[in-house]
Amino acid sequence: MKSISDLLEKILTQSPYWAEARYHRRNSQSLSVQKGLVKQAKSNLTSGVGIRVLVDGAWGFSSTSDLTPQALEKALKLAIDCAKSLSQLKKTQVKKLPATHLARGEFSIPGYESLKQMPFEQKLQAVLKAEEMTRNNSKLIHSSTCIYNEIFEDKVVVTTDGANASSKLARNEIKLGAIASKDGEMAESHESVGKTGSWECLFSQTSLNEMSDNAAKLAVDLLSAPKIPGGNATLILSPAMVGLLSHEAIGHTVEADFVLSGSVAKDKIGTQVASPLVTLCDSGTVSGKTHSGGELLVDDEGVLTQKTTIIKNGILNSYLHNRESAAIFGVEPTGNGRAWLYYDEPLIRMRNTYIEPGDQSLEEIIASTQDGYLVDCPLGGQADATGEFMFGAQKVTKIENGKLTKMYRGATISGQAFDVLSTVDAVSREFLLDLGSGYCGKGQPAKVDAGGPYVRCRATIGGVQE
Amino acid sequence: MSQPLKNEKERLEMAAEKLLSYAVKSGADLAEVCGSYGSRTKITLEKQDYHLASSDDGYSLGVRVLKGHRQGFASCNSTDPNELKEAAIKANEIAGFSPENPHYTIEKGDNTPIDSPTGLVDPALTDLSIQTQKDWTRLMVAEATKDKRFKLNEGSLEISTGLSLILNSLGTHQSEADTVASWSLMGMAAEGEMITSFDYFSEISRKAQSAPERIVQTSRKFVSEVINNLKMGKSESYKGLVIFTPRAVLDILVSSLSYHINGRVVAEKTGRWGLSDRDKQILNPKLTLIDNPWLIDRSGCSSFDREGTPTRPLPLIEMGVLKAFCLDHYAAHALELSSTGHAAGGPSTLPSVSSHTLCLAPGTTPKKSLYDEALKTQRSFLVVHRYSGQSDPVTGDFSGVAKGAEWWAGGEKQYYVQETLISGNLFEALGKDLLDVSKETKVIDSDEESPTLLINNISVTGG
Repeated sequence: MKSISDLLEKILTQSPYWAEARYHRRNSQSLSVQKGLVKQAKSNLTSGVGIRVLVDGAWGFSSTSDLTPQALEKALKLAIDCAKSLSQLKKTQVKKLPATHLARGEFSIPGYESLKQMPFEQKLQAVLKAEEMTRNNSKLIHSSTCIYNEIFEDKVVVTTDGANASSKLARNEIKLGAIASKDGEMAESHESVGKTGSWECLFSQTSLNEMSDNAAKLAVDLLSAPKIPGGNATLILSPAMVGLLSHEAIGHTVEADFVLSGSVAKDKIGTQVASPLVTLCDSGTVSGKTHSGGELLVDDEGVLTQKTTIIKNGILNSYLHNRESAAIFGVEPTGNGRAWLYYDEPLIRMRNTYIEPGDQSLEEIIASTQDGYLVDCPLGGQADATGEFMFGAQKVTKIENGKLTKMYRGATISGQAFDVLSTVDAVSREFLLDLGSGYCGKGQPAKVDAGGPYVRCRATIGGVQE
Repeated sequence: MSQPLKNEKERLEMAAEKLLSYAVKSGADLAEVCGSYGSRTKITLEKQDYHLASSDDGYSLGVRVLKGHRQGFASCNSTDPNELKEAAIKANEIAGFSPENPHYTIEKGDNTPIDSPTGLVDPALTDLSIQTQKDWTRLMVAEATKDKRFKLNEGSLEISTGLSLILNSLGTHQSEADTVASWSLMGMAAEGEMITSFDYFSEISRKAQSAPERIVQTSRKFVSEVINNLKMGKSESYKGLVIFTPRAVLDILVSSLSYHINGRVVAEKTGRWGLSDRDKQILNPKLTLIDNPWLIDRSGCSSFDREGTPTRPLPLIEMGVLKAFCLDHYAAHALELSSTGHAAGGPSTLPSVSSHTLCLAPGTTPKKSLYDEALKTQRSFLVVHRYSGQSDPVTGDFSGVAKGAEWWAGGEKQYYVQETLISGNLFEALGKDLLDVSKETKVIDSDEESPTLLINNISVTGG
């Protein structure tokens, strides 16, 4: 890595303009097993350098997989030509990037070497066994899958204004799926976990055996579960559902590029946007929750990541920034500039997004709910600039007179995020980051994590109408 | 083909041959190489302005090996012999410890596609100057910034040239070049406190001559549709008639339907239909679904698939009767059939099954008559254009937010609704609950095509 950082520094000395060179080597390996058959076992290697320049208030970018000095010089020249060509068209020039505390040195996350040294074959055996356990859990399981992915990332970011950061990290995830069938009815369930670190990190909360048991049992239980009636309801959202809400419905609206385009969070800094019980953060690392799926020490612009409090006791406190947007808003960059591969430019992306825990127990919150639902096991979701969101949930359990009663089949939860957060009247002590197997999509993918406590609120459930 | 592109093709072919040879020398019984070269120049837009200009090119090569019925795969983004050798060794190593799967196969393909699409390369696009690309981007920006109520979040205009190549150790050798101009816009409308949902469109053109006019037309139409959404209101909850316009039909219904016509799903018996259902009535007789890989104005156009099998238009469902499934060699082997040319993927992925360009055939009823029919039957109803939600392909259940949906009442369109959820079931919606199919169809994002459908028994939950 030292030789690469020296080479990148040398290339950038040839630039009369601000420039950034980012080396990124990614080795990703995947395994997929279904019904006892290996469907996929593969290894991909992608490496190269992306060069970004700022010339006359315009960005230019070029990339190459060829790491010779000649190829890098050519990429630098192309990036400069691109920026010069665009600068004639731009209405508003990009401001000079503000001086900030840029990272220099090594910023690696433990677990990389340990995961690398574990034989791929051993991982395949674990995946085969987990799938078999899921399939054999019940005679009603018709099909099951187990998917394992791991990514080893080596990066060097060098800028002409002082960043020179090297990092190594490994991200891994495992996903189990089960399909149960009976009398022509079918039901599907999923269980997953994703971390940044070693193989053992993946199973620090739940063992692989427990995960396969959970996936199989849920699919079987859902077979006999009825469809939920639609309407507005009191909901207790699980940490994973809270993570989805925090990431999709709030997080995206406070990414400064969306704010500048006119998202619902525009001009709302300092205003009450949620219940005073809500404090919502996005952070590169989370205290007490090491190895989270979105863990990051330095971003792809060479900025050290920090904990950003987006909402503090219900009041909107900060947006998420890269260096360009921080210059526009006159604040410090928050370390949210991230790129998926060497040929992608860094965009404003989240890392670990969560609501801070409260002081009630889940048991107390359920006991004080007369009529509502406990919503768990997210199935993905989307939100847009208005804060309107839609989340799928596999498992919804009715709460009647303070007790959990019957289970319903998957449902869709929808609402306007800030409105929903304004209805929060209970926040649990229990706290989990539970979306580490997820990817965020914004032109490029990004590995993120999200979570929080159990949160009680009101929102719309999309179900059947009679 | 221009000389620079010929040179890149030569380099790609040489690297692919080397990789194939390394794979066999490293112990593979059979090997297949998928390679690509791509170059692009791209201008991106952000926050109502030009954002970034970029220029890239690169190679990608993947090798799949079989040792008996054990399979391994590895890829790299380099033509360097050392990296190619490393990929070949890695693929063989993976095959060495993978359990056997009797359906893994590499087969000799037919190298001479008949009547396949031509005209995927327009030299005027390959040689397009950066100045012309800037001029075209200006056209798009002019449309996107004409009405101040439209807020451009991001957009891009890209000219790309690609080469794809499939070789295998049994003599299959297919290659194809492709040039495309693609453009997209994403944005919303805002007026006072009112903000609409994000909306998005993307289009492609393989002809330089018609591209500028299409850029203007599609951008203008998109911006106008987003601004229309500013007239917002609430819907009521009900169960009954809903009109699905083409994008909604494709997003909600056809996307799930494609799971059940996927040959691998059939082989694994995780779908609704099996081989014994062929020639049986499975959906409403008003429905005909064709996969057509030969439409050159669509993004899915290709003369061969990920395994080198020539493609061809394939009727999948005719008047509600199941006619065929989409098959790659794996699914074909498992079902004792022949590949239909539906192996999907690229150099960094193993082959999977996917359709190319699904086209739901038009009906005979004018679209206006569908609305008249709905107005006659129900005092108010929803017209769904876009969807953000879940579709469970296994059960066919779908539930999600109807985005930019119209609320019709009192004989006319009232406003666009927010926070409205719809739910239903694919098989019922395209079975007994399908009432009518419009004779007009629409191509969405230069890809799939659908008419408008009138469907009963859909649950609508107003926010």
